[in-house]
Formats: sequence, C-alpha cells, structure tokens
Amino acid sequence: MIHFHDVSKHYDNQTALRKITFSIDKGEMVFVTGLSGSGKTTLLKLIYLAEKPDEGNISVAEWEIDKLEESSIPLLRRHIGVVFQDFRLLNNRNVFDNVALALRIRGVNEKELKTRVFDSLKIVNLRHRADSYPHALSGGEQQRVAIARAIVSDPTIILADEPTGNVDPDTSAGIIRTFKDINARGATILIATHDRALFKNTGRRVLRLDSGNLTGEEIG
Amino acid sequence: MAFPYAFRLAARSILYEKWINLLSILTIAAGLLFIAITALSVYNIDVTTKRLPEKFSVMLYLRDNLSGKELENIINTVRKDDTVKRVKYISRDEAMKELKTTLKDTKYVLDGLGENPLPDSIEVKLKDEAVSPDTVKRLTAKLREIKGVDEIEYGEKFLSSIYSLKVGMNTIGIVFVIIMSAGMIFVCYSTVKILFYRKSEEIETYKLLGATKGFIRAPFIIEGAVMGFIGGLLSLIGILSLYYTVIFRLSYTIPLFKTIIFPINISLYLPLAGLFLGMTGAVIAIGRIRY
Ligand SMILES: Nc1ncnc2c1ncn2[C@@H]1O[C@H](COP(=O)(O)OP(=O)(O)OP(=O)(O)O)[C@@H](O)[C@H]1O
Ligand SMILES: [Mg+2]
Repeated sequence: MIHFHDVSKHYDNQTALRKITFSIDKGEMVFVTGLSGSGKTTLLKLIYLAEKPDEGNISVAEWEIDKLEESSIPLLRRHIGVVFQDFRLLNNRNVFDNVALALRIRGVNEKELKTRVFDSLKIVNLRHRADSYPHALSGGEQQRVAIARAIVSDPTIILADEPTGNVDPDTSAGIIRTFKDINARGATILIATHDRALFKNTGRRVLRLDSGNLTGEEIG
Repeated sequence: MAFPYAFRLAARSILYEKWINLLSILTIAAGLLFIAITALSVYNIDVTTKRLPEKFSVMLYLRDNLSGKELENIINTVRKDDTVKRVKYISRDEAMKELKTTLKDTKYVLDGLGENPLPDSIEVKLKDEAVSPDTVKRLTAKLREIKGVDEIEYGEKFLSSIYSLKVGMNTIGIVFVIIMSAGMIFVCYSTVKILFYRKSEEIETYKLLGATKGFIRAPFIIEGAVMGFIGGLLSLIGILSLYYTVIFRLSYTIPLFKTIIFPINISLYLPLAGLFLGMTGAVIAIGRIRY
C-alpha cells in the first residue's frame, strides 16, 4: 500500500530523512517511532504530499508519486485520513462542521453526512460537544476531534501523527483500540509516536527513526 | 453535492465579513450609477446627433441647357451609388422661387438681375451612416466625373463637426465605461484577495484534506458575484430614483429636461453587469491554486 525506496528529504541545509526504504502492506497497522526531530512528521508528509521527496521513489495505493499529475493530488488525499500533529482544526467552525468538512470535500450529501459525523464523534466520545468551538475544548478533546475527522470518511489509509500526545494513558489506550477496530475493518494505518507504551505488546511492526535514518524494525 | 455548501460558505463569509463586503458593494453601486448616468447622457446626445445627418446634403450644380435625356442620365448615375438615400432635382426656376421666399421683403435686390442667373441643381441626401468625411469625399470625387455636372458643394465644416461630435461622444463614453469597469473589477479583486489571504490557513487545511480547486474557488466566486449583483441592484434603485425625483419633477419647470429619454431596459442590465464584474474580480483574485 505504501512503498518507500531510497527516499531522502532535505530542508534547506537540514537532512530530515536519508535513504529510507520500507513497505507497508494493505491492511497493516504500523508504528513509526524516534526522538523529537528524527523525521516522523516528514515521513508522513511525504505520503500525503505536503512535501516532495528530493530523492527516491514513493508509491501510495495505485499512485507513483513522482509521476502524479497535479489534478490527481486531491484524489490521492481523499484516500487518506490524516491526524495532524498540530490538529489543523478550523477555529471558526464548531466540532460538527470541522468533522463534516472531510465529507463535504468528498461531496457526501448533508443527510448521510449528519449520521456519519455523529457516529464518528461517538467513537471518540465527543458526541455531546458537537456544538462547541475548538477553543472551548481541552487539548486532548481537540486531538480527538482531529481523529474523528480523519476516520469519518472511511479512508483506505490513516496517517496519525502523535495521536495521543495530549491525552492521559486511559484515553490513549482507548484511541489505540479505536485504530485497531478500524484496522480490523481493512484500513491501512501508520501511527507516528515517541510513546513506547503505545505499541508495547501490540504485536505490530515498529519502524525506528534516528536523525533521519531508518535504523531498525521491531515487533511491539 | 459540494455546490449548495459553497453557497453556504459564501453566505457565511458575507455575514462574517460584513463591513468589507458592504464597502465594496457600495463602491460597486456608486461606480455602476456613474456608468448609468454616463450611458444616459451619451445615449441622449447620440439620439440628438442621429438627427443631424438628415440635414446634411450635397448639391450638384449642372451645366446650362442639358437635354432631358442627359439630365435623366445624371440622376440615374447618382441614384445608383449605394450611399445615396434620396435625390431631388431643383430647376433654376424653382431655385429662384425659393430664393425669393427666403428673401421676402428684400427680394427687390434681385430686380436688377434681369435674367435668372441660377443654375439647375440636384440635391443629394445620403444615408445616415454614410455621413462621414471619407465617404463624402469619395462620393463627390466620383460625382465630379459625371458629364454635365459643373460644380459640387457641401457643408464641409458641418460635416466634420457632426462627425467628430459623434465619434467624440462614443469614444468618451466607451473609455469612461472601460475605466469604471476596470475600477469595479479592481474593488472586487481587492476584497476577495483580502478575504482569500485572511483564510489562507483554512484553505491550506482544505487542500490537505483533499479539496479540489473548484471546491476552494466556488465560495469566493459566489461571494464576488453576490457583491456585484447587490451593488448593481443598488445602482438600479439609485438611477431610478434619480430619474423619477429629479428629472421627472424638473421637467415641469425646466422644459429642457423633458427631452431627456430614459431607456429603462438598459438599467435592468445593471445587476447583471455588477454580477459579471464581481465574478471577474474574484476569479482574478483567486488566481492559480497550487497544491
Ligand atoms: N519546514 C521545515 N523547514 C526546515 N526544517 C524542517 C522543517 N520541518 C522539519 N524540519 C526539520 O526536519 C527534522 C525532522 O522534523 P520532523 O518534524 O519530521 O520531526 P519529528 O520526528 O516529527 O519530531 P517531533 O517528534 O518533535 O514531532 C527536524 O530537524 C526539523 O527541524
Ligand atoms: Mg512530528
């Protein structure tokens, strides 16, 4: 589903990723871990095309990224649900509209959209905050809204960047359970985290990044 | 479908950013009102100048003692030219009679002349659109070649002044409309540009979530169109009230105003013109979207 071959990415004079090669199959749930600044976010950005690689080949689902036409970019992105590290919620929309945006962009009609948004808010336990605005939510609640928006469209790929960075261990365990459920229904999931507790005893693959190098792989 | 949602986004933006939107609506209204007033003036002057070519004619003075056949030949040749509307033969006797009626009480000045010194003549009226210096020059050069024509005369000054008045008015009108339209497009352009920048963070999120260019553009284009349309409606209300309160009333006291013609149907295009200008401004402001 996701293939990297000798991929490098440099920012100005900073190397964020160096000759990275790995593959994630359809239906897998994989973690990527490493210290702050090791390149986790950059790796995810290359997948949803927020950044372009300087070297190497990337393919996502049926697309070769370096051969992708500009007009196909939104199509590719609609296959992916992203939980951004900085959430990217719209501050002037309430929780409902923030989550609904993912469906409106995909042209889902308003009636169907309503049930799907509420279903997805129920999964992250925020059904009762549908009318609140982001600034009235705690950091952890905002993070869960971001998760609800990423999963509401039933994407084939979910990329979650530090999805439990702002929540307590119990909530964190709940979020991982949610991802497992969604994964069990067929979605391919890639979670970036520096929290070892998150993948301990999951039995899933864990990719280890160290200063932009892929230094190893283990089973959590 | 994304379309009704685009309308909701546009409506939302208009309400949230009401001051900047109101300002551009009023500017557009004022601009279109100016255009309407100019168009009204140009139209009225145009109607007046359209009647002037009627008064223009070319006189052909003929050689003495032409035979009936020769005369007929001349008249037919003149008539054949497709810039000619009407041809009228005036015999020397008729010309004299006319001269006498013009002179009225002072006609005794002609008494000493004895024999009628006036030549026979042909008055040629041209089609309205042919009344321009170039066409007339070409026509007279051709008529001068006809055998039996002695001399040709026409009001050269009169001709060039109607012509330049007409061309001048049209040019001023067109230039003015173009400048004002460009100005209004610029107003919509700046407004949408400002809104677009203000929402750049939001638009970036749209893109990352997979929005198409159309999804991003549509609300702004609708917003521009709505601003322009409302501005156009206001200018329509403006020109109608101006007409009914000012011109209609004044024409009771000042007869000159009675001659002003108001082509209502032109004003009905004002909201459409506004809509078009607003949309154009918005499209230019959004420009190319890159992912
Ligand atoms: N836009 C950018 N411009 C310049 N340098 C950047 C940019 N984004 C990231 N970097 C650099 O690239 C390296 C990798 O950054 P990245 O955000 O991928 O790390 P990360 O593993 O996600 O860190 P964290 O755990 O803190 O989120 C860092 O050294 C960072 O400073
Ligand atoms: Mg990061």
